[in-house]
Amino acid sequence: MEYVTPFDERVREPVAHAPRPEDLCGRTVALLDINKARGAEFLDRVEELLREHGADTVRAAKPSFSRPATGEQIAEIARGVGLVVEALAD
Amino acid sequence: MSVLPDVALERLDGPPVSIADLFAGERVVLVFVHGDCPTSLLALRRLAAAGDSAARLVCVAEEDVVGAARLARRAGVDFTTLAAPAPYELSRTLGIETVPTAVLLGADERIVGWDADAYERLLGVELPGEPRLKPGCGARSIEGEPAGGLDELEDMFERGWTDGLPVVPPTPERVAAMLGGRDPDRSLGRVPPAHGEATLERVASCAVLAGCRPAYFPVVVAAVEAALEPAFNPHGLAVTTQPAGVVAVVNGPARERLGLNGGIGALGPGNRANATIGRALRLVLTLTGGAAPGALDRSTLGSPLKVGVCFAENEEASPWQPLHVEHGFDADASTVTLVAADAPLSISEHRSRTPEELAATLGWAAAATWSPFWWPMDDTSLYVVCPEHSALFAAAGWSKERLREAIYEAVVRPARELQRGETTPTVWASGPDELIHKWTDPEKIQFVVAGGEAGRFSAVFGPCDGMGTRPITKEISWST
Repeated sequence: MEYVTPFDERVREPVAHAPRPEDLCGRTVALLDINKARGAEFLDRVEELLREHGADTVRAAKPSFSRPATGEQIAEIARGVGLVVEALAD
Repeated sequence: MSVLPDVALERLDGPPVSIADLFAGERVVLVFVHGDCPTSLLALRRLAAAGDSAARLVCVAEEDVVGAARLARRAGVDFTTLAAPAPYELSRTLGIETVPTAVLLGADERIVGWDADAYERLLGVELPGEPRLKPGCGARSIEGEPAGGLDELEDMFERGWTDGLPVVPPTPERVAAMLGGRDPDRSLGRVPPAHGEATLERVASCAVLAGCRPAYFPVVVAAVEAALEPAFNPHGLAVTTQPAGVVAVVNGPARERLGLNGGIGALGPGNRANATIGRALRLVLTLTGGAAPGALDRSTLGSPLKVGVCFAENEEASPWQPLHVEHGFDADASTVTLVAADAPLSISEHRSRTPEELAATLGWAAAATWSPFWWPMDDTSLYVVCPEHSALFAAAGWSKERLREAIYEAVVRPARELQRGETTPTVWASGPDELIHKWTDPEKIQFVVAGGEAGRFSAVFGPCDGMGTRPITKEISWST
């Protein structure tokens, strides 16, 4: 029996994970606050720990947790840093 | 080696490819399968779970693209899958009589049926577990299409083309009737979170699945257009852990034309247009958009609203401007308005005799919506005011604006009573006696009139707070 699919069957090529770095020394890590309650406190502590391991950090924040980061913001983060930690939820 | 037919096959992970291009210079094993063969499924699952292989595995499904995609999904296949439907040119050229059959291109090696040891030798991988051997099934190329196949309603469940209830199978004839001559390829946009493209054909397929009559299709299209407006925040609503339902309110002549119910039982079952239009919208979001519950839809509890909610405003029983006129449309326009919402809370109020009393009851009923100490709320609450309640306001000469202000002003609490549990930065930043409103702004309170003529039961749909969503109204276009 033939049917008309409700799905968009195109499947995107999976993107491979970037290789995991050996260590953090001298690397720049972006800390992205998605703007949920107390996410910044979590990132403050993560930032402390990262710095203890020799990493540099930069902070970024989404304007709203309920919307995806814009392409521009993602590109800007990707340009400047090697790793990203995202405070995803409360 | 057999001379391979010079055909381009549909590939699930990229554009169509010619056989020669895909296989140039590699050690390639084709695994022929089809979706009605349990041994095929077993083989694909086991191969998908295997580690790196010494040869490139390619699944060749004796299916159309839809069937191939379904089979690959069921088996968890992450290697290239090709759709090789009737007339099965490739199968015939290679003499495939059984599935699964593995063929090492360029050599005279093949494995017929499931033989784990033989696959281990051929691919240089380990395939632990039982069974080690299982006979295959007849290939479609020699057997032809199955005569009956699955019961078609069961087939819909098998494909996952459902919200859990039975659906109407979207045959090409039914979808064509739903489209009514409209361009099937016209796109309404990409539906988050998976960004499937909402072509009219796919929307029509969802409308058929939902049980819509073709006459309802223009409403479904307008509803999808509304849902894809960035200001509605379709991405956030699709993936949130909130219940996050969508309520569709129809105004104007479409109500009578399609037999939509805005009267007794408007929010309940029993009316085909109400039940299927809301459901069609939800199927577009879930199937075309990929917001499947438990997958990309992360709603903790889900919501009965996620089956779909659509009703008409009872404009005839309303003393006020209907919703669409309030939103800037002509009274004789037909529109659909979407509001992102939590479940409706029924408000019984049979004792109030003044508009002030009634407004206070309606307002305070919403005090615990979203969360009891979370004041103020910043997204829209939708009140469905029953005719007896709206008549009381009308008799007192109250406009919608006056009611909105009265509710806003009535529902206030001192910050000290709210400084606990889940509350807002506003509450923590306020002095203990400062009065906090339940809403940030009176405009976050919206009204429609609906329901039967007897009984003083209104309802409020709480907001999807924090989603930054606002109601979207779209005009329904009847033209093709």
